[in-house]
Amino acid sequence: MTGGQVIEAYLAQVAAALPGPARARRDVVAELHSGLLDAADAYRRAGLPEATAAQAAVGEFGDPRQVAGAFSHELIARHVRQLTFLLAAASAPVGLLWAHAVQASHPALSRAPLWRWIGEPPVPLAAAAFLIAALVALGTIAVTGRLTRWLPGGPRHAAVSAAIGGYGAAAADTAIFILLIHQIATSPATLAPLPVAAAASASLARLVFSRRAAQRCLTARAALTEPDRAW
Amino acid sequence: MRAETLKGHLDGLLLASLEHGPRHGYAIMQALRAGSGGQFDLPTGTIYPALRRLERAGLVQGAWAEVGGRRRRIYQLTAAGWRTLAAERDAWRDFSAAVTALLEPAARPVIP
Repeated sequence: MTGGQVIEAYLAQVAAALPGPARARRDVVAELHSGLLDAADAYRRAGLPEATAAQAAVGEFGDPRQVAGAFSHELIARHVRQLTFLLAAASAPVGLLWAHAVQASHPALSRAPLWRWIGEPPVPLAAAAFLIAALVALGTIAVTGRLTRWLPGGPRHAAVSAAIGGYGAAAADTAIFILLIHQIATSPATLAPLPVAAAASASLARLVFSRRAAQRCLTARAALTEPDRAW
Repeated sequence: MRAETLKGHLDGLLLASLEHGPRHGYAIMQALRAGSGGQFDLPTGTIYPALRRLERAGLVQGAWAEVGGRRRRIYQLTAAGWRTLAAERDAWRDFSAAVTALLEPAARPVIP
């Protein structure tokens, strides 16, 4: 085996054990590659032949599973954060489209105080689910970013809270669909077809995305085999 | 020195290794090894995720750059990193003074 092959074999072992998006994994592998070349250079300068220098470099870097395990926390924290941001970004147009659909379908209701909206059975459920989703999304963003310096919790907790946020958003959309079906069954004529169709399409897309995002977060959480802060 | 002994101190040591200017991961490891007289000999691969964690916390900033004909990820302290380093240093001085007072026989008052 040449020195290059020794390093490539080591990096392949690390890469195989890394979770998260492909781009982030490539970035990690590129940084390790650069470091391994530096280490091998240092051993060569000390007099070792190329292949032995590469062996010494990978030996210095440590067990590839341990290195991948330590990186997993960072990759998952970033992944969970990205998914939460996407979910939050998707929620704003969904909310606006439903507000427009309600205004177009029930002009009187849209001018009514909030408590009259709450009277509709699925609305409290949707509101509660959305509130939970929004709160845990904020918590997830906090513990995966700069506030991590002061806040307890780590990627494990962030993955679980992001999953709760995803399922919360999915529950909110499901409740909205229950309300919509109820409206279609009882008074279809009152619904403004285009705004409602647009809002329902957006809600359906968010429901599918948020469920998938929640499942990804739980899968990522299961991939973390070491405590949040090994160091 | 056992790797576990460094637990809880690695962040401060990494920040201190960047005090004199930006460095890439392997140079940081070499600085830790040289600065500790070879006592801190962690698996080099574990330094990189720790740097990414510090970057996520906003204490260091990492960016790819071409240095010496090779693409390397270079890290430097942020303003928050400087503040945290100063705080870690103060906390360590207090802690080490207290431990030294207790562990060093010459420093302890003789109780009859």
